[in-house]
Amino acid sequence: MNPLPVECPRCAFEEISLLATSPVPGVWDVVQCGRCLYTWRTIEPARRTRRDAYPDSFKLTAEDIENAIEVPAVPPLLK
Amino acid sequence: MAYDDLRSFLDTLEKEGQLLRITDEVLPEPDLAAAANATGRIGENAPALHFDNVKGFTDARIAMNVHGSWANHALALGLPKNTPVKEQVEEFARRWDAFPVAPERREDAPWRENTQEGEDVDLFSVLPLFRLNDGDGGFYLDKAAVVSRDPEDPDDFGKQNVGTYRIQVIGTNRLAFQPVPMHDVAQHLRKAEEKGEDLPIAITLGNDPVMAIVAGMPMAYDQSEYEMAGALRGAPAPIATAPLTGFDVPWGSEVVIEGVIESRKRQIEGPFGEFTGHYSGGRRMPVIRVDRVSYRTNPVFESLYLGMPWTECDYLVGPNTCVPLLKQLRAEFPEVQAVNAMYTHGLMVIISTAKRYGGFAKAVGMRAMTTPHGLGYVAQVILVDEDVDPFNLPQVMWAMSAKVNPKDDVVVIPNLSVLELAPAAQPAGISSKMIIDATTPVAPDVRGNFSTPAKDLPETAEWAARLQRLIAARG
Ligand SMILES: [Zn+2]
Repeated sequence: MNPLPVECPRCAFEEISLLATSPVPGVWDVVQCGRCLYTWRTIEPARRTRRDAYPDSFKLTAEDIENAIEVPAVPPLLK
Repeated sequence: MAYDDLRSFLDTLEKEGQLLRITDEVLPEPDLAAAANATGRIGENAPALHFDNVKGFTDARIAMNVHGSWANHALALGLPKNTPVKEQVEEFARRWDAFPVAPERREDAPWRENTQEGEDVDLFSVLPLFRLNDGDGGFYLDKAAVVSRDPEDPDDFGKQNVGTYRIQVIGTNRLAFQPVPMHDVAQHLRKAEEKGEDLPIAITLGNDPVMAIVAGMPMAYDQSEYEMAGALRGAPAPIATAPLTGFDVPWGSEVVIEGVIESRKRQIEGPFGEFTGHYSGGRRMPVIRVDRVSYRTNPVFESLYLGMPWTECDYLVGPNTCVPLLKQLRAEFPEVQAVNAMYTHGLMVIISTAKRYGGFAKAVGMRAMTTPHGLGYVAQVILVDEDVDPFNLPQVMWAMSAKVNPKDDVVVIPNLSVLELAPAAQPAGISSKMIIDATTPVAPDVRGNFSTPAKDLPETAEWAARLQRLIAARG
């Protein structure tokens, strides 16, 4: 396994965890952001793996994540 | 010819020249998705793709675009690969009448060969997961047949639902799941969550080609997809009992994932490039905990690329959207001749119909909007005469250009329901809907100057056949 990336390309959160590693040792890892759950393979193109190359239209902020609507809404509990 | 699993269908595709094996090493991203995307950009009758040399993997087998051309769709139904689209839809409608055909239970399901349970579940070790589109939030299972039961009526075979939903892998044993409110599994989940209970679920991957077609088909709540698969296959659908949930799942699946939708929990999901040709996501969705994975030895991972149409998704849900609408309309209006609902899963629909009396075609258009599928789709309906083929778009454009007086023939109804993914909805889930009546007015609707239509000459059909013979003979 290689060193983990330091930040999420999508939301800039700095807690990244390891989900999977390549069956051929050392080729790639699959990693995930602890906040927005963005998941990427470390050898994907820069537009998917680097904060400075990640498209603005897909970036998320902490507010976006907090304010995301529930689909479907959780229904009221029946008595 | 009925296929009991994906593998036997891939063999047929290969024999028919409709499967391309790519043996050079490719990158998991962006190559797998880009190749599948490209099948929709190289003309008619693109093949399925099979990859087995993917960088970093030692043992990956990935099938894409399995239904992704009219030739492959025809073969999936056991028809000759050159069967025209309209004939495929007509044959589909004819077989529908055999519904219901009881499934056949078998005990020796090949996915019993390997199992992971509890703490040992690791989806990444079973499936060569990968990303499809740039903005996707992660790796998706997008061609699964997902089985759930009505918590209030768990023994009702008909209410057991098999559907295709988008599923994001958010952990080694966790999935985010999108139940569209109009779909059956959303009703199952609501009933479970009202009681504070988890909803058991079985997710089956890599199925026989008819199973994928019925899982994406808009059917009534209490109609069984397995009984429909039997009708379309012309043979009972083989099913087996899933070991953890006890649900009925396809006998031939490559992989069966079982677990629960955790009650009253939502987590951030997406975005995901959808069949509408737009991304949707950034919303909090239900979450599945996976408790058991059963899989065939050397499983084939089947995935579907979707994005800007046309893609495999459009072939997969084209005919299976036309036929239910045709059947539901004809049940009340036998004048309906044909339905083309192949654009964006029926967000736009073209219907050819005879007219009972003036104003009738507009009534057919309104009825299409109030069918079960129409409540979430059918935002635009074009009505054409009974002698116009709705699958022949130049004929449809002629009818629109010659028959429509916009002031009286275009009807817009505000604020109707539509699925939330519809990009033009405002707000999400609400849209105006439009009827374009491109039929010839009949009495007492006396508008226009349509009394002297130029019809094909009586001898033309004979000459068409003669010309085709002469052209064929010329070689
Ligand atoms: Zn993030």
